[in-house]
Amino acid sequence: MQTSRQWMITHDWMVKGNRQTEWINGRGILLWLAFYAGGLGGGLYVVSLFFNSIWGMAIGWFIAAALKGAFHFIYLGKPARFWRLVMHPQTSWLSRGLLFVILFTAFGFIQIMVSWFWTDQTVTILILKIISGILAFSVATYTGFVLNNIKSVPFWDLSLLPVLFVACGILGGFGVTVAISLFSPEVNIVAAEMGVRALLIINAVLIAVYLLRAARKEAAGRQSVLLQIRGGLSPVFWGCVVALGVVIPAVITVYSLFSGEVTSAVLLSGVACEIVGGVMLRYCVLKSGIYNPLIPKKS
Amino acid sequence: MRWGMVINLSRCVRCHACVAACRIEHFLPLYVNWPRLIAWEQETKTGVNVTTIPVRCNQCKKAPCLDVCPAGATTQRDDGIVVVDQKKCAGCRYCVVACPYQNRTFLSKDKNPGYFAGYAPTGFEKKGMELYPHQWGTTEKCNFCAERIDSGLSKGLKPGLDWEATPACVNTCQAKALIFGDLDDSESQVSRLIRENHGFQLRPEYDTDPAVYYIDPGIGGAISNLAPENTTTGYHIRHLSTVDEDARKIFSLENVEVS
Repeated sequence: MQTSRQWMITHDWMVKGNRQTEWINGRGILLWLAFYAGGLGGGLYVVSLFFNSIWGMAIGWFIAAALKGAFHFIYLGKPARFWRLVMHPQTSWLSRGLLFVILFTAFGFIQIMVSWFWTDQTVTILILKIISGILAFSVATYTGFVLNNIKSVPFWDLSLLPVLFVACGILGGFGVTVAISLFSPEVNIVAAEMGVRALLIINAVLIAVYLLRAARKEAAGRQSVLLQIRGGLSPVFWGCVVALGVVIPAVITVYSLFSGEVTSAVLLSGVACEIVGGVMLRYCVLKSGIYNPLIPKKS
Repeated sequence: MRWGMVINLSRCVRCHACVAACRIEHFLPLYVNWPRLIAWEQETKTGVNVTTIPVRCNQCKKAPCLDVCPAGATTQRDDGIVVVDQKKCAGCRYCVVACPYQNRTFLSKDKNPGYFAGYAPTGFEKKGMELYPHQWGTTEKCNFCAERIDSGLSKGLKPGLDWEATPACVNTCQAKALIFGDLDDSESQVSRLIRENHGFQLRPEYDTDPAVYYIDPGIGGAISNLAPENTTTGYHIRHLSTVDEDARKIFSLENVEVS
């Protein structure tokens, strides 16, 4: 026993399941933020279209196009070659995603400008809104497919992942819309709050169903779930995703439903908690991406 | 023609010569290893056995890295070798994350302080950078020494048989555990070994069809392979044994105590 250990370091990390690190550690943090920015920005844009909030659209566009684009750009090993990323949309979800972002950047900008300056162009605005809305939804959704496409990480290999990501993005969008409604009278705050309540329930159910399904998907999937529920990620999962992301916003919105009114500060705190929850949900998903072991260890 | 490799697990003696040969052949940066040896310990009644599996890029026929590469930097040659064009790679690392065998490396300058941190590169390093420039901020992986194969073929040599046209790791393996050849040629040594010894691929359930096969004739071979249905790698692993006894057998060291 002693002899073996003296001359060879074992590599249990490929025998046991090991976590992906490229997309979360070091500069990978930028990719995590980019993934969330896509969800939040796209979600906010879609929700703002519903409420016809030009400020919401502008903020959503800024988050999904400028902020997300910047995060991706800085993350790349060779940023000057970023244009090459659109070369393979036939098979690569990253390529498709970048195309969505580029098209959304262009159509979203045009739509906001036309809506701002030429309010009488109703048909043009409607067409632009439909196109940019579809693109914003695609920007919010595609990151789920990027991860879902990786079959060797059982925790990501669930068709529910894009749904979870887009629901989380739209929830964030509703949250920011509530915040915007405090300053902009064009948004119906009651309707926005109803949206938050509904999405909070949907999101909580989706997270629970996702974890249950992942836990039944191979040993590595179960390991990913345990890592979040009981392992090293549990403070982040329970503290940020569940408490900040679901429980606190839910308490605030339910309280506002029955009391009729809460202060702006409380509402804004709820929105901030919700955004932190959404960001940390992406963190947990990326951080707990455990590969199937290459060589399953004998028991 | 599809180049492939057979790894005879009962012959591998864990000497890491393949890793060293590749490092020298390609002037690999400090933290990068294209071929690797996965090793793990198993408790037995008499102590602990160390089992190893040499791994490298599997040059999959249906390579996930090829599909996910957004820049079109990863391509597959007609001979099945999956290559990365580092002049096209934008460094998004999707291929690194998507490779189910985790055989790709992102070249990060942060991780490489050079052979002597804080000092100028040595003459050896400078020569390496000149002969085999590794581009920081891109990904790379084993390419079956495609440059040796191409150069050998242009001289009329046969990869797998002629030293000059054969991958460096295969040439250097003193235990003859690595065998290289054409998988499409049913009479080649690799095809014969796979056929006769029930060669198997790692994780066939991913449906990637790797060009790297494993055999273990010393133990009677796996039950069946060549993309067997409803089987996983774990099933085959039960038959593997690159333990000390095999090493002693190969080098006729039965009576020598390992200290």
